[in-house]
Amino acid sequence: MSLARVPQLRIVQRDLKCRQGCGFYGNAQFDGLCSKCFRERNDKRKKAEQNALPPVANSPNTSGTSTAGRLSPQNLLGRVPNKRQDSMPEISTGTLTKKKSLVPAVFQKTLQSNTLKSKKLKQDGHLGQRAYVPDPTESQFMLQLRQLRIPDDGKRKLKSEIQRLDNAIRSYMNNSANKNVDELSEMVQNAYTKLADIVHNDQRFQIATNEDRESAIDFFEKVVMTQNHKFLFSPYFTLDEENDVKIQKRIRQLSWITAKHLVCSIDEVNAESRDLVYNAITELVGIDSYYSPQEKLECTVRCCRHIFELLKHSVGGPASADEFLPALIFVVLKANPVRLHSNVNFVTRFTNASRLMSGEGGYYFTNLCCAISFIENLNGESLGISEEEFDLLMSGDKAFSTPWESALLACEGLHLISENMKRMESLKKRNSSIATGIENFRKDLEEFQREITDKVDACIAKAPLTILPIKTPSHLISKARAHLANGSDIGLATAESVGHYSANLIAAISADGNTNKESTKNTLPLVKNSTNQIIDILEDASHTLALKDTSTTSIGRLSPLPPAQPNIDLQFASPIFNYTPFDAISLLEDHSDSTDDYLINTNLRGGLTNVNYDFDLSDHSGENSVTEDLKLNLEEFDPLAQKPTAESDLQATEQNGSTVERSLLDSDSPTNGTLLPSPLKPTVTDYRGFSSFEIPSISCNTGDFASLNHSVNESEITIRTTSTVIENSKAN
Amino acid sequence: MPTNNTSSNFKTFKVVLLGEGCVGKTSIVLRYVEDKFNPQHISTLQASFLTKKLTLEDGSRAHLNIWDTAGQERFHALGPIYYRGSHGAILVYDITDEDSFQKVKNWLKELKRMLGAEIVITIVGNKTDLDAQRTVPQDVALEYTESVGAHYFETSAKANEGIEELFTALTQLMIQRHAQREQETSSLRLMQGGRTSQRLIVEDDSQDGDEEGRQTPTTNRSCCGAG
Repeated sequence: MSLARVPQLRIVQRDLKCRQGCGFYGNAQFDGLCSKCFRERNDKRKKAEQNALPPVANSPNTSGTSTAGRLSPQNLLGRVPNKRQDSMPEISTGTLTKKKSLVPAVFQKTLQSNTLKSKKLKQDGHLGQRAYVPDPTESQFMLQLRQLRIPDDGKRKLKSEIQRLDNAIRSYMNNSANKNVDELSEMVQNAYTKLADIVHNDQRFQIATNEDRESAIDFFEKVVMTQNHKFLFSPYFTLDEENDVKIQKRIRQLSWITAKHLVCSIDEVNAESRDLVYNAITELVGIDSYYSPQEKLECTVRCCRHIFELLKHSVGGPASADEFLPALIFVVLKANPVRLHSNVNFVTRFTNASRLMSGEGGYYFTNLCCAISFIENLNGESLGISEEEFDLLMSGDKAFSTPWESALLACEGLHLISENMKRMESLKKRNSSIATGIENFRKDLEEFQREITDKVDACIAKAPLTILPIKTPSHLISKARAHLANGSDIGLATAESVGHYSANLIAAISADGNTNKESTKNTLPLVKNSTNQIIDILEDASHTLALKDTSTTSIGRLSPLPPAQPNIDLQFASPIFNYTPFDAISLLEDHSDSTDDYLINTNLRGGLTNVNYDFDLSDHSGENSVTEDLKLNLEEFDPLAQKPTAESDLQATEQNGSTVERSLLDSDSPTNGTLLPSPLKPTVTDYRGFSSFEIPSISCNTGDFASLNHSVNESEITIRTTSTVIENSKAN
Repeated sequence: MPTNNTSSNFKTFKVVLLGEGCVGKTSIVLRYVEDKFNPQHISTLQASFLTKKLTLEDGSRAHLNIWDTAGQERFHALGPIYYRGSHGAILVYDITDEDSFQKVKNWLKELKRMLGAEIVITIVGNKTDLDAQRTVPQDVALEYTESVGAHYFETSAKANEGIEELFTALTQLMIQRHAQREQETSSLRLMQGGRTSQRLIVEDDSQDGDEEGRQTPTTNRSCCGAG
């Protein structure tokens, strides 16, 4: 029917047009013509054929026309089958030609030339309309009849029996007022029994073998059923058609059923088993396209064989009914064959009953009946799901997805999609698990990091990097304590023995010790240490010893602790010249002083420093090496020295810088000249100032220790300072 | 009714296998037809429909069509479709499974009701190789079988015990039943002729499930046709 054109990827537009060139689009089914041209051509041909008998024109092998004519034998049903038509339409039903086309064409021709026979058959009257039971079928049957290996008498008898049943059926269909399909069925079955009787017992069949007799009976059945298919198949006075629709609807509703529901071992996704299921479905659907019950049964058998083939893969041995029936149900559900009930009923009514009772065909057909019955009476229980779920699935309220549905659309692409969807789903699952794994790993890492940090911190806390104070021998500590305990008065006594320089120092230390005791504990040991060391040094009377090396400087440099003020005090307590810081700090630290004094002192620091400075410098003239050493030390405390007023500061630095190596005396003279406001000032200043002031006398060992008396001079200091303040303010 | 029309001494019988799943229906029939137990070695593609031709000692020949049935509970209702028109029934139970014996009782009631006396019923206790685990005593089964007029056999498909005997005896019984009925039929046919006579054959509980050939279509339709 379609043109034998090489398949092309591209269809040119002119290929789509009608071949007649009328401008309309053509259709492959119309032989490439448009509908109008096709009809015209057909009419023409029909006329030509009506003139030319016999109708050899339509050879059985033109399958295209035969399928066209075959479209629906059912269409004929409702109509009064009275209309006779002797004409042979071109579009004739080539019903069985497909199967019977084995016959060589030569035979056909001889047969068809045998007009007598064909006429005779025609006389039997084939009812129908345009799609009239065709000659080819009949001629086929005639040929088959000839080929039957039974005596000619038997053939004749067989033919007459066929005609008799044929006529009986037709007359029943035409005349009976109350048609009953059961009556009809009974009639046919009786005819079968009768024929069987004749075949087995009649004289005319005597020489035939059992097989030939069987085939004769088969032939009888086939001919009658094919000829009368249109009357007997789904007769209009039965409910077959309604039932067809019903079961079709039901199967459609049951489309959600999977192999799992049926507990059948069909792997829906496996491509190989899918192909086998397709084969089974094709056969099952094909049942409808055959006319005689035998062929329908054969088709059923083929279908079931495919199912067994399918089951062989999954079961691993010969499948029993336990596996077979569920699989068949599955196939029926997925095939949803058309006119299922009509076909089943046609077979059960009109086939030879013995066929259904025994034989493979009968067995499989019975199973098919079982499957249909099961589908009709299906409920949730039989599928192993709850009734509620069943109802939901049936009504379509609950979504479902079966891999088979996509496959049913015969679209490989969709099937691939469904398989890919599955894969994607699993990949997605894996992906998310990886993601959570990563997240967990990240958390673990963070945890680990924190743990490590904590551990490190703990370790650090456990073993902190602390620089422990340099230990002082205990005998020194005790000595120092003794000094501190005795206070400044004792200091004086000590000074007497040791020298006033050391006495000054001790006094300072004791004072500091007192203050520090009040303030911080941390600094205390340092104070003690340094004090002790200094004392120690002093006691050794070795002036040459570098104080900076052993005690003060080393402590000052190494200690990580806040700057130890006592150290500075101590250093300033030494006969060195940077009094400004010394004074300021000492004043600040001296808690024994009244607040007023304190304030005044701080305010008038510059003035005071100047005073002290002068004194120091002047006094230090002719100082020995010890002072020089100390002076070097003091340089390190320059930052503090910056605080004095600009002039003094400058001078101080100048002086410091210049007098580092030289004799102090050299540098003294200029500073003395400028910065010496009154000769009395040194004596008036703080006792510490006094200590420094007294230093020159220490060197001479003639120091006046009375000046160290703090209490005595304190009032004087205040007086002096106030006076300086006044002076300064006036100057400003 | 005999389904065989080919010759007088070669008869076809339909034998239906009934029983719960896993009692060994398939094994019995496979052992009988192929004389094999291990499914790996069986050549047939399927084990649900098997045929066997046999000749009895008295020379009579028979052709058995053995129909396997799905034993699952949910297919129980389909039973009548299967055993309609059968000449013999083999009800199989597992001697180690009390439940399967109860199932057999149900089947038997049903068969009696639907087919009356025209069917030869045998009750088979399978798996005698597992005699140690037996839960259904032999005498209980035997007693029951006799009370319902059936025939009792014990088999082991695995050990190939009693299988041959079962089928031979069953065939014998079916041939007897058939001959008996044929006789009645022919005598009745002489008297009345026609198909109505068939109804009279039915012995006691005359259900209209009279499995005369003509009426089969009706029965069939009611089973799977009327939906």
